[in-house]
Parts: sequence; C-alpha cells; structure tokens
Amino acid sequence: MKLIRFLAGALLLLGIAARQPASAQTIDEIVSRGTINIGVLVDLPPYGILNDKQEPDGYDIDVAKLIGSYLGVKVNLVQLTSPNRIPFLLTNKVDLIVATFGITPERAKSVMFSIPYSAIENVVFAPKGKTITKLEDLKGLRVGVPRGTVQDVLLSKSLGSAVKISRFDDDPSTYQALLAGQVDAIAETGLTGDLFYAQHPEGDIERKFILLQQPNGITMRKDQWSLHQWCDTFVYFTKNDGELDALYQKWFKKPLPNLPTF
Amino acid sequence: MRTLNLGDFEYIVFAVRWTLLLSFYATLAGGLIGIAIALLRTSSNRASRYLAIGYIRLFQGTPLLLQLFLVFFGADMLGIPLGAEFSAILGFGLNAGAFLGEIWRGSIQAVPAGQVEAARALGLHYGPRMIRVVLPQALRIAIPPTVGFLVNMVKSTSLAAIIGFVELTRAGQQINNATFRPFVIFGLVAAIYFVLCWPLTLASRRLETRLAAAYKR
Repeated sequence: MKLIRFLAGALLLLGIAARQPASAQTIDEIVSRGTINIGVLVDLPPYGILNDKQEPDGYDIDVAKLIGSYLGVKVNLVQLTSPNRIPFLLTNKVDLIVATFGITPERAKSVMFSIPYSAIENVVFAPKGKTITKLEDLKGLRVGVPRGTVQDVLLSKSLGSAVKISRFDDDPSTYQALLAGQVDAIAETGLTGDLFYAQHPEGDIERKFILLQQPNGITMRKDQWSLHQWCDTFVYFTKNDGELDALYQKWFKKPLPNLPTF
Repeated sequence: MRTLNLGDFEYIVFAVRWTLLLSFYATLAGGLIGIAIALLRTSSNRASRYLAIGYIRLFQGTPLLLQLFLVFFGADMLGIPLGAEFSAILGFGLNAGAFLGEIWRGSIQAVPAGQVEAARALGLHYGPRMIRVVLPQALRIAIPPTVGFLVNMVKSTSLAAIIGFVELTRAGQQINNATFRPFVIFGLVAAIYFVLCWPLTLASRRLETRLAAAYKR
C-alpha cells in the first residue's frame, strides 16, 4: 500500500503541474447540485456490507444516508475498497468518505477528518490454549493483520521485528487465517471477530485483549472547509439527539461508545 | 453476519458479464494495438522499431495493477475523467497490446526468411507480402501463445477491482465479506472462471489442428 500511496502522491503532483482542478468544493455547490457522492466500504460487517438484496448496507451506509437527508440531497453511494479510499477522494470521484476511516496524524497530512462518529475496537484474537494478555506476549508469534490498517502500524511500531506480521488483503482473509492456523493470533475488529468465531466454535478462539479503541471520522479533502464544518455540526447534532446512538444500537446491539472529540 | 441466499449466487453469476465484457473489449483493443506494434517492431524503419520497443518495455516492465491505477486516477488529474469501465478497457487494452505485439512479432519472424524472399522475387510489395504470405503462416504459430495470454487476461481482469470495477472475483469477495463462506463462494468463482477459460483452450486446439492440416502432405 506504500506503493499506492506513493503513486497517489505522484499523481497529485502531476495534477498540480497539469491543470488546477475546480476551486475548493463548498457545501452550497453540493446542495445546489442536489446529489452527494459518498464513498463507503462493503467489506466490513456490520459497518458496511452487501445485504441480502446485494445492496450496500450497514452502520456507515446509514450514516451516509442520514447525511443526505440532513443536507436535503440525494445520496449516491460509491463502493470503495480500503486501499483506494484516498485516491477516490483526492481525484474528486467522491465528495466524502464514510468508511470506518481511523483518524491518524499520518492520514491527516493528505485528508481532513470530522470529529468521530463511530469507533472500532481493535482486539487480539487467539485460540483459547494460548496465554496472551498484553502486547509483549505477542513477541515471537505470527500475528495476522489486514494490510495498512491502524493495528498493522501499531504492531510494527511497538514490537518491530520481535513479532512476525502476516499482512492480509482484507478482514475475512485475516479471520480465516487464524481459523486455519496459518497465524498464532490476529489483531482485528472486535465485533466482527466475535460474530465470526461464534459461527466457528471448532476453532476454539477467544478475545485476548483490547489493542486500542480507534475513533473514525467522516473524511474529506483538505480544502473542503465548509463541508468539514458542516460534518462536525452534523456529528455533534446527531450524537446529542440520539440518532447516531439509534443507528449504533441497530447494527451493534450496544450503545454508542463514548467518542472523544477534537 | 447473514447467511448465503439465492440472490447472492445470482449476484456472483451475473457479475460474470462484467468479466466477459471487459475481456472482450480489452482483447479487441489489445488486438488492434498488438497488430500495429508487431508490424512496427518488424519494420525495416529504425525509428518505428524503437517506438515499438519502447512501448513494449514500458507496459511489460510495469505492473498491470499500477497501469490501471494510473489510467483511472491519472486521467482525472489531467482533467479528463474516464469512467471505471472505460479506464479498465483502456488499461487492459494498452497492456494486452504490448504482450500480443511481442507474441506476434515473434510469430512473424518465425516465418522462414525464404518465404519473404520468394514473395519479393515475385514482385510483391510490403502490403500484399504481409497479408498474403507472411501473416497467414504467422497466424498458425501465434495461436497457442495468443490463447495462453488471453486465458491469463480473463483471469487477471479481477485486478480492475482497484478502480471500483465490480467483476466476478470482486463480487465473490463482497459476498464473502458479508457471509464468511469462502469455500462455497470462491469455489463457485473458480468454477465459473474454468467454464470461461476451458472452451477458449479447446477452441485454440481445434483451430491449431485445422490450420496445421494445410501443411500436411
């Protein structure tokens, strides 16, 4: 993914050199256009999946639709994959991303985040027989992570070469790898893992410890200031009036976690 | 997490039309570019030879995935937005052009030099010489590697997922990500690819035997 990020950067320079695209997008433009293109993931239940009618559905999709209804515009959902989220945004193919995008200073160099509207619990899963209670216990083990994710960066940074990291292309492969015994443990989304391993009791796999709580923000380009202000207001408002909580309850059967803000 | 339903199977099976469409148009575009490249590459003009070599080096030497990426996002940066479908066809076509061009260059050069000399001796110019003497013989030689490449391309159309093109493999992934039934889903996807590629191989064999018959005594 480093390569893709590098290319995205190279393309960006190319774009600046070639022709300056239209001036910074404002909220008025979107409202007068009557539609908003929102990038979502369909790879990460229950944040984003294809439902039994093969349409995008999930917490993020419901949030995207709520954005549309508050803006009074039609929502055009664009299905993204984890590695192509930033390129789609930077090339104006989508106006916003609502795709479980973890807020990090590294990413904030190229995009802008709203205050968090959801959080993901990153949990270490392993078979019941293994004693793993803290980060240091992972030393010498083979640990699976989805490539380029927050947990990938965190493990590489804190344990370095003491841990053998296997990077997978998406979440299902990561869960499957642990079940198949290709890795000793994985660092993954807690709720999805709970569901998956409940379906596969033969693996005898359980939660070991919470690696981190990752707050996610609505993501936009660095020059979309008026949209950024609107999104912050939207998250603030729907958090206070209980709408976000209701959506969270619908998909996660839990109340909205306490989301730090900035 | 939901269970697999009939609609999911339909979704996957119908996604094959995107794989087919992309393969078809990419073959068409790649074939046209390939012929041009093969002719330039075998021409007696030094400049056109180097042009063809440069093209082939560029597309054979960089990953297809990044070519797609550059076509799709690069076009936008230059202010000419292309859709995912058109970008995929263009990307695959440009790539296939390089590989087919090189395959066909080899086939053209494999036609015995005596044939070209004889055609010259009969006073045939470049056009008729190529069309009536060299290319029909090169065709026979070109079939197995060409089909081999096309079969490979059908399977690599799954790379188009990077630019948001939902074809067979991506559709399978999407359903698997919702239902977590990899063996059923990817088994089905693999079976569909087999159904697509096997007839291609069969047709290639038949064509080969038919063309070879002309050279039997």
